[in-house]
Formats: sequence, structure tokens, C-alpha cells
Amino acid sequence: MTSSNGTEPGSLPTKITVKDLRFFYGDSLALKTINLSIYANKVTALIGPSGCGKSTLLRVMNRMYDLYPRQRAEGEVLLDGENILTPGQDLNLLRARVGMVFQKPTPFPMSIYDNIAFGIKLYHKVSKSELDGRVETALRGAALWGEVKEKLQDSGLSLSGGQQQRLCIARTVAIQPEVILFDEPCSALDPISTAKVEELIDELTEKYTIAIVTHSMQQAARVSSYTAFMYLGELIEFGKTQTMFTAPENRQTQDYITGRFG
Amino acid sequence: MSDHIVRAYDKELDLLGRKIAEMGGIAEKMLADAMDALIDFDADLARKTVLVDARLDLLQREIEENAIMTIARRQPMAVDLRDIVAAIRISADLERVGDLAKNIAKRAIIIAAEARVPRAIIGLKSMHESAALSLKDVLDAYAHRDVERARSVWTRDAELDALEDSVFRDLLTFMMEDPRNISFCTHLLFCSKNIERIGDHATNIAETVVYLVTGEALPMDRPKGRSFSSESLSI
Amino acid sequence: MSLYDARRRKNAFYVTLCYAASAFGLAWLIWILGALIMKGAPGLVPATFTEMTPAPGNTGGLLNAIVGSLIMTIVAVLVGTPIGMLAGTYLAEYGNRSKLAFVIRFINDILLSAPSIVIGLFVYQIVVAPMGHFSAIAGMVALAIIVIPVVVRTTEDMLRLVPSQLREASAALGLPKSMVIQKIAYKAARAGLTTGVLLAIARVSGETAPLLFTALNNQFYATDLNAPMSSLPVVIFQFALSPYADWQQLAWTGALIITMTVLALSIIARVLGSQRKKS
Repeated sequence: MTSSNGTEPGSLPTKITVKDLRFFYGDSLALKTINLSIYANKVTALIGPSGCGKSTLLRVMNRMYDLYPRQRAEGEVLLDGENILTPGQDLNLLRARVGMVFQKPTPFPMSIYDNIAFGIKLYHKVSKSELDGRVETALRGAALWGEVKEKLQDSGLSLSGGQQQRLCIARTVAIQPEVILFDEPCSALDPISTAKVEELIDELTEKYTIAIVTHSMQQAARVSSYTAFMYLGELIEFGKTQTMFTAPENRQTQDYITGRFG
Repeated sequence: MSDHIVRAYDKELDLLGRKIAEMGGIAEKMLADAMDALIDFDADLARKTVLVDARLDLLQREIEENAIMTIARRQPMAVDLRDIVAAIRISADLERVGDLAKNIAKRAIIIAAEARVPRAIIGLKSMHESAALSLKDVLDAYAHRDVERARSVWTRDAELDALEDSVFRDLLTFMMEDPRNISFCTHLLFCSKNIERIGDHATNIAETVVYLVTGEALPMDRPKGRSFSSESLSI
Repeated sequence: MSLYDARRRKNAFYVTLCYAASAFGLAWLIWILGALIMKGAPGLVPATFTEMTPAPGNTGGLLNAIVGSLIMTIVAVLVGTPIGMLAGTYLAEYGNRSKLAFVIRFINDILLSAPSIVIGLFVYQIVVAPMGHFSAIAGMVALAIIVIPVVVRTTEDMLRLVPSQLREASAALGLPKSMVIQKIAYKAARAGLTTGVLLAIARVSGETAPLLFTALNNQFYATDLNAPMSSLPVVIFQFALSPYADWQQLAWTGALIITMTVLALSIIARVLGSQRKKS
């Protein structure tokens, strides 16, 4: 891996450290010894062509892959220094700390209010009025409150695609995770909705550590402070976004981000 | 560098490069012609040279428009982004070189009418040689993405500064010898200043070439060749 | 151009075939419905719903048969649905590609297509014979056995239709799997699951064969589950075969009632289904 110049990354507080991670789908090796740091309160973008393993890497960070048989990870993923890949890891607790927003908006088949309240009630015993307050805070946090405050009891599915995605972000934020993983959150959205989600991601960095997988190089350049370029299951280059998009060190990175990939 | 998946993108970048090359050729020719006109007191050549500048202005505007369209259309990244930014910057520098050469040509017309101390021009000739060499080298450096050559142009500018320094003192001497030389020498003084500026633009282009190739900027201060301080310039 | 013309003629030919095939199928349906309404509607008088099945020559209605059908269908569905849903949930959520699931699925498919008379005989063997007499309970068991595979299949299919992204999104919030199924998957599949149950009701409410061997029939109004019980399909079977005109009339009316009920259930199921698509 090439590490782009810029300030020495080691000086920043690290939230997640990936060490010698190998990932298998059945017998096929999807990630080949990945080493990477996700810095606290920064946005780290994972880019690379389809099938390069960026989504796989993201899904290791909250052990989403555990939902499926025959998928396994080797190595270490340290969240605040603790390896989350150990068999004893409480997955539900882990996922409460590491939230995830998906490519396709996935509102639950319930009201807008319940979409948010559901997650909160899962972790906290709160009074109705406090619940109301936290739902509102979450919706405001996702810049959705103004659009839905009159129809909190409507189905979450009645919202537009962009609104649904922000509802999903609000739902994730409502349970107060430490890290939020975004898996191509804007690929199904129009440019205006995309801009709103990006604005949101920008605001979220104050409180959360964020990792985002995106196919849009421009989006990676816009929202992230650090960028990792992956290719064929390997981490090719990792560095400051500014450097990665103006003067990447690695030839493959350059070819990919400038649209020269064969 | 392998080609882009979108071939039209390559064509757009090629076109920018070709137009820069054309501008470079015109600017070099203008400077050479303006200096010839000055040295040979050739008012006709000087007039022709003045007219050429319009072409340079037009090219610069085209490059700017093309570059902006490419940015809007392709959202260039990395080397492509630097390529386009470099084209914009270099075209602006070359356009200024053209303006400065034009100014020399205009002064050549005036001087030709009243040729007083031809030997005063000799110093300018060596300045011109240095500036013309820098301009040629830096354009080659751009064409071949040659960082080393660009760096050498960048450091060589000190030489031109030193030459300007001595020309300044020579001209001062001529003016003190005979006050009737003052008008003539003042024009030459401005010409020397113009040549020095052309050298500055060559170093600007050198910096741009280094950025274009490496993505890194050269240090803010460049080796200086002047013996006098800026105050002494305010005479 | 001639190539295009040939293609157009070919197209017209096949489109016509399609229309003809649809018309052929629909014609029978309309004929059946028409005959039912023509013959059955005259019998739709209040007495049909308030009086017992009569002896030949007497006036009467279908009250005991309607009530019997309702009781047996409802109980069968109440018993069969939870079993079917749990099994279907196991298949979709837990069993997946395991051997056990494969075997269950295979057996369920056989059960789904087993002739209902076989099920009647089976229940006769394990319930009626030991008890020594026909009973409503035996009828319910037979009907429940018919309900189960229908519900298993629809439950599994409907749960599989719940997008995996929704499951992942639920899991990403830290939901345990049991809660993902209860709170999210069931909710998302609700309309489909309801449709499955309605289809099961429609299926069993018209079954005759299994009841002939189990609940048999009863001339009188009876709610004793330990005794034989009347039901519409069996009454229709018996009356339609009789030589008496008034019995035949009641058979037509009974057939109309069942058909309309099933039709209504199908329509409800369809409406619920389309709502699912919208949301």
C-alpha cells in the first residue's frame, strides 16, 4: 500500500484499526490482508471499482457479514482498541455502537415516528414525552423534522427516496452510535437529495466517526477527509483526500480516479 | 499515460496542450521580433509585432473557455485536474508575455524615430538572450513534463535579475552623461523591466510545470540575483 | 419492409391466439357462475339461512350446514395457521438450506398437492376409527391438515419476499434475529401472510371429500364437536345427487353461497395484495 504524503496519519486519534484483515466468501478470498485506520470524528471514504472489496470491508466493521453463512474474517478489527472479531463479541451491542446506512433506503414498515422510536425503545426505557423529544431531535438532526412534523403517523414508506434515506440516518443517529458506516448512501438519490445527505454527513462528523463507501469520486472528494482506494481486494493507497484527488502517489489510484481504468 | 475511457476527454486535454504550444510559439516569436525591432530600429517589424498580440489574447480566451467546459463536463481529478489548472495558469502567463513583448515593440517604434545611443541596447540584448532561453526551456519543460528543466529555469531567473541590475546602472550612467539621452534611456529602462517581467512569467510557468507533474508547489521564495534593495528602485 | 410486415402478421396472429385462449377460459368461468346464479339465486330466501335441512318434500334451509361449515373452517384455520406460520418461519428464517428444511419443504409440497380424499381417509383411520364414530373434531383435524401446507408455503414465500436490505437494516440497529422476524419481517409481510390465510380459508371451505369420512353430516342443528356435524359441501354433495327438486334447489343455493364467499375472500386477498405492492 502507498501512503500518500500529508500530515503523518499516526498523530490522529484512531477509532477503528483494521489489522491484517482477510475476508472469505466461502473459499474465495475477498480481502487480502488489509491494514487501515479510521480516524475519530473524520470521514473516511472507501473507493474503488465494483468488486474491489470496499463494501465487504465496511460490512466487517459492524460484522454484518455474520448474517450470512460461509462468510468469515481473519485478523483483527479494533474498535477503541478492542478486537470486535472475537467470537464472544455481542453483535447487537456492537451494532448499537457502529450504525450503518445502506444503499437503498430501508424504512421499516411502520410510521415515521415509530421508525425512530423503535430503535430508541430497544436500548433505553424512556417516558413517552422523552421519547417524543428524542424522536424530534433525531429528525431535526437529519434535517427532516420540518418536512415530516405534520405527518409523524404516516408510513415511513410514504416519503420520497431522499426523505426515506434521511429517515434511515435519523434512525441510526437516534440510538447514539459512535461510528456510522455509509454504504453508497446516495446511489439511489437525485442530486438535491444527495446534497442534503452530504450536508448531513458533514454535520455528523462533529459527534461521530464516519466511513463511507461510494462510487462517486466527486462525492468522496466532497465529503471525506481521508480516502482509501481499494482494488481487487487490496488496499492500494490511503491518505488525505486532498492529496488523493490532486496528486495520488499510486499509478492505479491515479488511473482509477481520472477515469483511465481499463 | 494510458487513455481515458471517454476518448472525447483525451481530445479535450490534447487540444488544450496544443493551444498552449501555439501560444508559446507566438509569444517567443513576438519577443524575438520586438527585440530585433528595438536593436535594428525597425519600426515596420515593431508595428507588425504589435498586431500579433491580438491572436495571443484570442487563444488565451479560448483556452480558458475550453478549460472551464472540461471542468464542468468531466469533473477532472488528480493529474487531469492539474493539467487543466496548469493550462489556465500558463495561458495567462503567456498572454502577459505577449503584452510585455508588445510594449517593447511599441517603444521600439518610438525609439526608431530618434536613435541616440545604440550601445545602450547591448545590455538589453543579453537580458533578452537569457529571457528567451528561459521561455524556450520552460515551454519545452511543459511539452515534455520535464521537472528538472523546469527547476533549472526557476533557479536561473536570478541571472536575469542580476543582468537587469547592471543594465539599470548602465542606463543611469548614459542619462547622467547627457540629459538628452533621458527619454531614449527611459524607454530602454522600461524595456529592461519588461524583459525581467517576462523572465518572471517564465519562472511562474516553471512552477506550474513542477506542480503539474508532481502535484507539489515549489517553495515560496526563489533565489534572488539583485544587489540593490527595492528602495533603490523607487528612483 | 416485407420482413417487418411478416413480423407484424405473426404478431397479430399470436395476439389473436392469446385473446382466444383467455376468452375460452373466461367463458367457462362465466358459464359456471351464470348457471350457479340462475339456479341458485331463487333459493336465496330468508328461510335458507334460518331453517334446518329438510326431509324430502318439506321446506327448509341450510342453517345447520352453514353453521357447521363456519365452525369447522374457523377452528381448522385457528389451529392450522399458527402451526403453518411457525413452520413457514422456520423454513424461511432458520432452516434455509439445511437438510431438515429441505425435507420439510418436500413433504409440505406433497401435502399441498395431496388429494384431499386421502387426507380424509387418513383422519378416518387415526381419529374416527379409534373414537368409533364420526365427529366434528375429526372434520376439523382433516381441514387443519389441509390448511397447514398452504400456510407454510405462503408464509415461507412471503417472508422470503421481505428484502434482505430490510433485514440487514434491522440487524444494523442491533436487533436480535427473533425481533427482526417479529417486529420487522412479519410487519413487512403482513398483507402477504393475510392473503395466505384467506387462501387457506377459501381452500378448506369448499372441501367435501375429507369431511365425508370425518364429520359426515347431521340433519339437525348441532354444535357438539364430538358428534357428526353438517357442512355445506357435504350437504350439496348429498342433495345434488338426490332425486328431489327442492333438495336440488338447496344444493344450488348452497353452492352459490360457498362460491360467493370464496370469491369475496379472493377479492379481499387481492386487494390486500395490491396494498402491499403500493407500500
